[in-house]
Amino acid sequence: MQPPPREPILEFHDVTVAYGRRPVLWNIDLAIDEPCLFGIIGPNGAGKSTLLKAALGLVPLAGGTVRFFGQPFAEVRGRVGYVPQRETVDWDFPVSVSDVVLMGTYARLGWFRRPGPQEREIARESLARVGLADVAGRQIGKLSGGQQQRVFLARALAQQADVYVLDEPMAGVDARSQDLIFGVLSELREAGRLVVVVHHDLPTAAQWFDRVALIDMRLVAAGPTAAVLTPQNLERTYAGRLDLLDELGRAVEERGRTS
Amino acid sequence: MTTLSFFTDGGGMHAWAIATAAMVAAGCALVGTLLVVRRMSLVGDAISHAVLPGIVVAVLAGGRLGGPLVLVGAVAAALLTVWLTQLLRSEGGLSEDAGAGVAFTTLFAVGVVIVTAAASRIDLDPACVLHGLLELVPFDTVPILGVEVPRAFLTATVVFVTLALTAIATWKLQVFTAFDPGAARAAGVPVAAVTTGLLVATALATVAGFEAVGAILVVAMLVVPAATAELLTRRLHRIAVLAILLGVVAAAIGYLAAWRWNTTAAGMIAVVLGMQYLACVLLSPDDGLVARLCNRGWFAWRVACEDRLAAWWRAEEAVARGDTFPSAEGPTLGDRVADVWLAITGRVSRGPRGWTLSGRGREQADMVVRSHRLWESWLGRHAELPLDHLHPPAEWIEHHLGAEVRRRIEAEVGTQASDPHGRTIPPEP
Repeated sequence: MQPPPREPILEFHDVTVAYGRRPVLWNIDLAIDEPCLFGIIGPNGAGKSTLLKAALGLVPLAGGTVRFFGQPFAEVRGRVGYVPQRETVDWDFPVSVSDVVLMGTYARLGWFRRPGPQEREIARESLARVGLADVAGRQIGKLSGGQQQRVFLARALAQQADVYVLDEPMAGVDARSQDLIFGVLSELREAGRLVVVVHHDLPTAAQWFDRVALIDMRLVAAGPTAAVLTPQNLERTYAGRLDLLDELGRAVEERGRTS
Repeated sequence: MTTLSFFTDGGGMHAWAIATAAMVAAGCALVGTLLVVRRMSLVGDAISHAVLPGIVVAVLAGGRLGGPLVLVGAVAAALLTVWLTQLLRSEGGLSEDAGAGVAFTTLFAVGVVIVTAAASRIDLDPACVLHGLLELVPFDTVPILGVEVPRAFLTATVVFVTLALTAIATWKLQVFTAFDPGAARAAGVPVAAVTTGLLVATALATVAGFEAVGAILVVAMLVVPAATAELLTRRLHRIAVLAILLGVVAAAIGYLAAWRWNTTAAGMIAVVLGMQYLACVLLSPDDGLVARLCNRGWFAWRVACEDRLAAWWRAEEAVARGDTFPSAEGPTLGDRVADVWLAITGRVSRGPRGWTLSGRGREQADMVVRSHRLWESWLGRHAELPLDHLHPPAEWIEHHLGAEVRRRIEAEVGTQASDPHGRTIPPEP
């Protein structure tokens, strides 16, 4: 007897994303079946962050579907922890480190319930895991860039999710924080979680990730890191930029024709 | 005399006016806190003006100022402004601030035109629209449990209580949305509804204050208390509470001052709000101008004293080494003042050649010279700088190194007893 077919943890099926009318990601097919450290790699403007945002319903899909555990994101949002790019928020905002980490528990609490002792305990543990237990009461603007990134990671940990989605968590982060973040992500993988990371640095990508997807407005290749990061694939991603896609996107936006 | 006549001259009237202004200020401060931290102060400005046509149309349709119909009209006009602003941005290609500038000024102007044109048929006068008539508030009353309560007070209270309860119930969502809308949306927070809620709240707070303080000064009540409170604390809920208190205090002081000097109460309240802000800019304990100047001055003074201690220490070292005593290269006035201060505090005393370090003075000088020479050693080791590059940075770093860092540097450069110039590094006491 065959075991029932397992749903992939995360599946993109023929996903196209457009900003306004202009497509920036074309027909992405990607399925991740097993818990692992998964890197999404590509040059600037390749649409890596857009792909994450599309998965989380933060940008509308122009076509295709995204499913987590075989379900739409809205059904399982509590099981997916999101770490946005650090620069997307105002770090002068008047909240403390533990206030931010507590936000990770809101998805479970619903709209109106307040965080209680249990949530505070979870927040404390999450902060300790990223090595920031001693700055819990500090205003977030007083932290270094690396510490701020770890606060964001702690917030996702406080959500106690099954899938973690991180947008450039290593950008502008000191070496100690990078090691710490990578350590926590590895622990999550050992605990059977899927960790998807948008990343732009190739040497560290080869070192950190079990599997990667190479993206440049379209999916170039996906699979085990060593098999994907080949000179040919990198050439196709970085050097062989398909200007055609970009040009066509602009033409669609302007309702014209490509020259 | 004045105090007495204030209370005998219909103190009840004044009390009602103050209570009304305080209630309006409290509601505006609460909403304004969220607007200010979301960098949406301009939206507050826009909405407070744009509600005018809504109010006017509602009054023409038979509504009363402070009545439910007028509240509905005001909220509708506010949402219309926001929608127009977004439309101008997406379709007209205007930036957000220019779009808001076009939308709210136009709507406000439409309101002014209608008020003026319909002046004979409408119980609203253009001056009141701009400046409010706080002084007249106590004369328009409704009986509540046998007490004649001003209508404006009633409206402001209902609005404030509603806003406060809503804020308490949805605070978590407001904060998450304001700080990180992307993550909030991913976590299932209805971000668009939360933002629209804030805009509706702004319209309600504004319209409640419209009659009392007018369209222009209500902006001050929205923005200034929150901006002031932000200087004093760095936690959002404390900013909100503090902003409400500041608003209430300004309402009372402003009204009394206006009565004393016989001028407009609404204007005076806004002036008091501005003075509160100014006072905080000057006196805020951490970032205040006065605190910063004091810190800077105190630090400069400490540097001057430490430099003199180190200078006498080096002079003694030179003598001990058998060098000639370095001739004092014309000490500056500051140096002399510092010397006198060191003498008064018992760190130096008169000696054969100028000043001699006392035991305590020597201990402090040891630390300064030790910091200086440790830093030179560390720099010499890590930066591979030529010898003449080592002294200048050490000259200012010496005032910043604490015992802990000194120990760490020493652990790294080793307890060799001399710096790159070959001179002795004094030990930690």
